Amino acid sequence: MKINKLLTSIFILSILCFTSCSEDDTDSEPRGDYENGILISGEGSPSTGTGSVSFVSNDFTVAENLIYKTVNNVELGTFLQSMAFDDDNAYLVVDNANTVTVVDRYTFEYKGEISTDLELPRFMVVADNKGYITNWGSTSDDTDDFVAVIDLATYTVEKTISVGNGPERIVESNGKLYVSHKGAYTTNNIISVINIEDDSVTEIEVKDNPDELAFNSSGDLVVLSEGRTIYDANWNVIGHTLASISTIDTSSLAVDQEVVFAEGDHPSLMVIDNETIYYALSGSIYEIGVTDTALSSTSIFTAEGYLYGMEVEDDNIYLLNANFSDLSTLNVYSLETSEQVSTQSVALGASKIYFN
Amino acid sequence: MKHKALFLVASIFSTLSFAQNDSLVNRLEEVVVTADTKLQVHSVGYKVERLNDSVILKNTESFTNLLRFNMPIYLREYGSGGTSSASFRGTSSSNTAVIWNGININSVNSGQTGFNSLTVTLFDGVDVRSGGGSIEYGSGAIGGTIHLNDNLKFTQNTRFKNHTLFSVGSYNTYQGLHKLKFSNKKIAINAGVSYNSSNNDYPWLNTDYKNTNGAYSNLALNFSGSFYLNKQSQLNFYTANYNGERFFSSELPNPTAANDKYQDFSNRNLLVYTNKGVAFNHEAKLAYLTQEYRYFDDKNSSNFNFGKSKRMLVNYNLKYSFNKIRASITSFSEFENIYGSTDLISVQNRRQFSQSVVYNQNLQQKIAFEAKIRKDFNTDYSVPFTYALGINYKVHSSWYLRVNGSKNYRVPTYNDLYWPGQGNLDLIPETAAQGELGLGFKNNKFSADLGVFYIATKDKIVWTPNGDEDRPGVWVPINLSEVNNKGAELALSYNETFHNHKLQFNFNYSYTEAIDASTDKQTIYTPKHLLNFNLSYNYKRFSGFYQQLYNGKVYTTASNSEDFIVPDYAIANAGINFKVLHTKVNTLQLGVKVNNLFNKYYVIQPRRPMPNRNFNINVNYTF
Repeated sequence: MKINKLLTSIFILSILCFTSCSEDDTDSEPRGDYENGILISGEGSPSTGTGSVSFVSNDFTVAENLIYKTVNNVELGTFLQSMAFDDDNAYLVVDNANTVTVVDRYTFEYKGEISTDLELPRFMVVADNKGYITNWGSTSDDTDDFVAVIDLATYTVEKTISVGNGPERIVESNGKLYVSHKGAYTTNNIISVINIEDDSVTEIEVKDNPDELAFNSSGDLVVLSEGRTIYDANWNVIGHTLASISTIDTSSLAVDQEVVFAEGDHPSLMVIDNETIYYALSGSIYEIGVTDTALSSTSIFTAEGYLYGMEVEDDNIYLLNANFSDLSTLNVYSLETSEQVSTQSVALGASKIYFN
Repeated sequence: MKHKALFLVASIFSTLSFAQNDSLVNRLEEVVVTADTKLQVHSVGYKVERLNDSVILKNTESFTNLLRFNMPIYLREYGSGGTSSASFRGTSSSNTAVIWNGININSVNSGQTGFNSLTVTLFDGVDVRSGGGSIEYGSGAIGGTIHLNDNLKFTQNTRFKNHTLFSVGSYNTYQGLHKLKFSNKKIAINAGVSYNSSNNDYPWLNTDYKNTNGAYSNLALNFSGSFYLNKQSQLNFYTANYNGERFFSSELPNPTAANDKYQDFSNRNLLVYTNKGVAFNHEAKLAYLTQEYRYFDDKNSSNFNFGKSKRMLVNYNLKYSFNKIRASITSFSEFENIYGSTDLISVQNRRQFSQSVVYNQNLQQKIAFEAKIRKDFNTDYSVPFTYALGINYKVHSSWYLRVNGSKNYRVPTYNDLYWPGQGNLDLIPETAAQGELGLGFKNNKFSADLGVFYIATKDKIVWTPNGDEDRPGVWVPINLSEVNNKGAELALSYNETFHNHKLQFNFNYSYTEAIDASTDKQTIYTPKHLLNFNLSYNYKRFSGFYQQLYNGKVYTTASNSEDFIVPDYAIANAGINFKVLHTKVNTLQLGVKVNNLFNKYYVIQPRRPMPNRNFNINVNYTF
């Protein structure tokens, strides 16, 4: 979801710039049907329906589902885990198919695919004309997980960088890649920092099951660790490890601050917008300031249904009520008034929101 | 073995049960022994269709295909040879019970039977009974029951018969089968071994891909015997063993991602003692069944997930016949002890006792009826009291009316109850009340049966996120939905003989509405229309057949979105056979079969193309 938060902001800025201060054209031609809108990726389900992307225009007046299938007449397969973007392309990561499909981000026309040398790809980021994709490798092996480095001219894996078990989200800043290790089918508690120049990997220990990553306005990396539930041999719950929101100084790679959740609380989603951190816990949304050292005790929203994706943009909060047996629902609320701004029927198993 | 049966490239016999007492069996020249008397004797008012061995031999490639081309049942298969399940009348696949010699063999862990993990070619017959049968067969017998039976025969003279089949097909598909039958006045023995293997790497039509990682192989060994003890009593035993390995293919856009492997092993043993007197019949059964699967997420790794079960059954049935009024009352008592576990669920023990009573009477040769009740006692949860009523009314010499009504149930599976972090111990069994009315005609050439049915299912177990408010976001099974099914089934059969020409035609059509009460929409993967027919022709040493299947469109989302469907498909198979050698004792037949004759592209599960046109050459030798 937030992988590309920065990139997205840059794109929004560039679009604004492009539209307002366009030098080459008097009026900018739309670059495709799917510009100036919101893209929602849905994981799909093998029996129910394909992974898919939905488009909703910024003013919520136009909504279209299955845009990849509509344009290209083929299905993406399952599960569409996440998407990544660069200037021209969107990269659709389908984990069970070991495939990343490349499309024009504004027209959604198929441009190519990476379908060899990936194994359970999860998330991708583009930096300096290279793609970086986290991969779980064989689910039976905790030691073969890797980040695949993609040559974006040929859409092939040019090399792999071995990392710890269960790499999940990946973001880039100043020549470094930051990878959260949620632990795939088991558990892990590290953030890998990869120096792009020499592929060296440094590990930072955080609380168990780190997932969401975002940069705050000071350029620090903020990590949401979900904590885990501990079972005995008979699968009775015998305890929990703690969840936290950790802030990591990207120059010293030290954990500067750790805001810890109560035992038994397992938060799931996190977004940073300006100076505010939004996070979800048991279906409710909370907010705290980026420098706050304590959690909030009052929720700002209670999400409808099965909260599976969240974004914040232009004073609106976007929440996904995921459905795996049917289309899901996107609910948009004003952060200022708490009023519902829009509701849309979107992709099956909807999980991530991107601003295009 | 059955020369005749192999000659007649025949047929589905609609055994519309008028047989009101065991005398039907005894009237036959040979004495047929079967372990599943409930099916034979206690199906009054139900439609039972039989697939005999000549029909079974036309679809030896899989149990899935045998049912799909011959029965009004919807088969859902994850690519050819992959995981496969069956549904009757729009009910779910866990509402179909598979019965081996009278014993329900659905998995304790999943509540279902995999229709590509069973070899049926070794059985003498497969019977399909539509409608509820929890009284007789317990959990899961809601939509209908599928029966695998060994028929043992005592004969006046000593008989020794062998049947060998060998076939080679496209994609390196091999099959070998040998069946042996020995019988005299006191002993009847059936033994069989079968081996199947295939690379199953068929090209996916309209793509550049093959069915990667779809290979399978399996070995089955069956043995059964009956011993005549004295005029009244006999001892029978049955054993069936299966050992299979399959790889699971994947889906578009990248089937090369497939990497899973699945193994399953089963061992089933049954001992039956029967004692038949003038008024009292006793039957005692002892059974021991084991089942195990291993799932390898990565075929190259030695790590696997598994599920295992052990079941012990003790059964005593007592029947008293009121011969004067052509009535009988039968008591069925059964105790079962089950141990089940998976790699994630430690061994769980379930014990259950069930008691049922069936009253059966024939009035003036015209009306036959049955009333049945059953109560279960279970260590895990309470099972509802169930009952059933069946009536056959012979309206005219060839016309009959049949009616049945029953209450049935499906208990939660071990997975539903105990899945780590997700199981729900508060589940109660699903229950279904249902009724059926049928009108039929039967003479020696033509038979027809038209039935309408209604099934109201409640407390259906559905896995859903947020199913438990104490476990937000966790997928949990709950007793959620209510589904009402209604529809009609038509079965036709016709045979004609003129000079040396023999013609046989069988036809099934079903119309099904299965409406989820919360959405008012058709349930997913329920085709409204299902149709199949088989046409066989036989002239002297030549025979040929044609099979056609039409499977209607299915929705895959709860809202019945047109964006998420599996389109309808029509596919056909055909075959010709020639008897090279044909004497009283020896028959050697060569055959060629073409599957998907018209090379149609079709899918049963989204993004998983099914096989293109393919061929099979087979040799059948009986001696």
